[in-house]
Amino acid sequence: MEAFENKLIGEIEELQSRFTQTTQKLIKDVRRQDKIMARSDKRQKQEYDELQKKFAEVEALQKEIEETQKEVVFTMGAIGESRSKETGNHVKRVAQYSKILALYYGMDKKEAEMLKQASPMHDIGKVAIPDAVLNKPGRFNESERKIMDTHAQLGFDMLNKSNRPLLQMATTVAYEHHEKWNGKGYPQGLKGEEIHIYGRITALADVFDALGSSRVYKKAWDDERIFKMFKEERGEHFDPKLIDIFFENLDEFLEVRDSLKDV
Amino acid sequence: MENLTIDETKYTPKINLNMEDGLIELKGKSYPENTFEFYKPMMDWVESYFSGCEQAKTIINFEIIYFNSSSSKLFFDFFDLIEEVVNKGKYIEINWIYDAENDSALEAGEDFKEDFEKLNFKLVEK
Repeated sequence: MEAFENKLIGEIEELQSRFTQTTQKLIKDVRRQDKIMARSDKRQKQEYDELQKKFAEVEALQKEIEETQKEVVFTMGAIGESRSKETGNHVKRVAQYSKILALYYGMDKKEAEMLKQASPMHDIGKVAIPDAVLNKPGRFNESERKIMDTHAQLGFDMLNKSNRPLLQMATTVAYEHHEKWNGKGYPQGLKGEEIHIYGRITALADVFDALGSSRVYKKAWDDERIFKMFKEERGEHFDPKLIDIFFENLDEFLEVRDSLKDV
Repeated sequence: MENLTIDETKYTPKINLNMEDGLIELKGKSYPENTFEFYKPMMDWVESYFSGCEQAKTIINFEIIYFNSSSSKLFFDFFDLIEEVVNKGKYIEINWIYDAENDSALEAGEDFKEDFEKLNFKLVEK
């Protein structure tokens, strides 16, 4: 006699088989997902490492560029200095004075730092002044003075072809550092705020340092005489706001002068 | 049925589906914003192709240099579909083309090859 098989068993077996198929598919899927994730994690890590490496390279290059630019600019300043009658640490002091003036004037740190780097190039145009004029001991006669005065225009002509921000700043400095607030400067005879702040700042820094240094043809002025002259030239030669900043922060300027004395 | 060509973009591969040549080709990167939506036309085409329009021999060329995880998932689904077709007795050849310097492309190819033992899956160095 054939055993009676409950109909339900067949149905359950059918269900079991489908269940097994489904769970096998699920297991396969989960394994795949894990694989995809593991691969993805591995790749992400590689990409991350690669990116970090590239960032470091870019940073190093950036630094290299900045350092090179600083060196070039400083060297150009030194060349200008070697052609002028200024000596020793003149350009370094002018750089520091310019930075202090820039900061108190309200420039941000980055711009002030740039001005510090650009201001030493103010006399670069002197490279193109004939030796006979440049090296003449004593005072210039009128025609020699005229030749000397072309150094501002010459500096502009040399630098203004560059698109680099620092060199563009240096162009302005070289071009405008002999302009006067009252319009009686050169080469353009600009007046007041027509003169770029970079020019106004470097003008004051340059004159302060030149007057306080001794030369073959002149003795250094003592401080009282310089201060008196600065007060008289407030709003004449110099931007009144910068003169105010100068006197309000005199200690800082004198500190720089002491720390960068000519030996 | 018509052939289907999708141009390459910055994030998606060139897709070339040609019925007469029995050719399914993908070439480029695969970073679609919505992977399953992007590949739907391709998956639909492939399904229709294998429901009677297929050639005696079909060649599948995959030259994917870079892809995201959802693309990876989609490729598994794609090869599942191909495996079903092969189980029905169709002849299909798959070339996974990779650049010698692209380790992750090779590894991905190896994964697919390992997962789909029944497929004629070749790793082809460029």
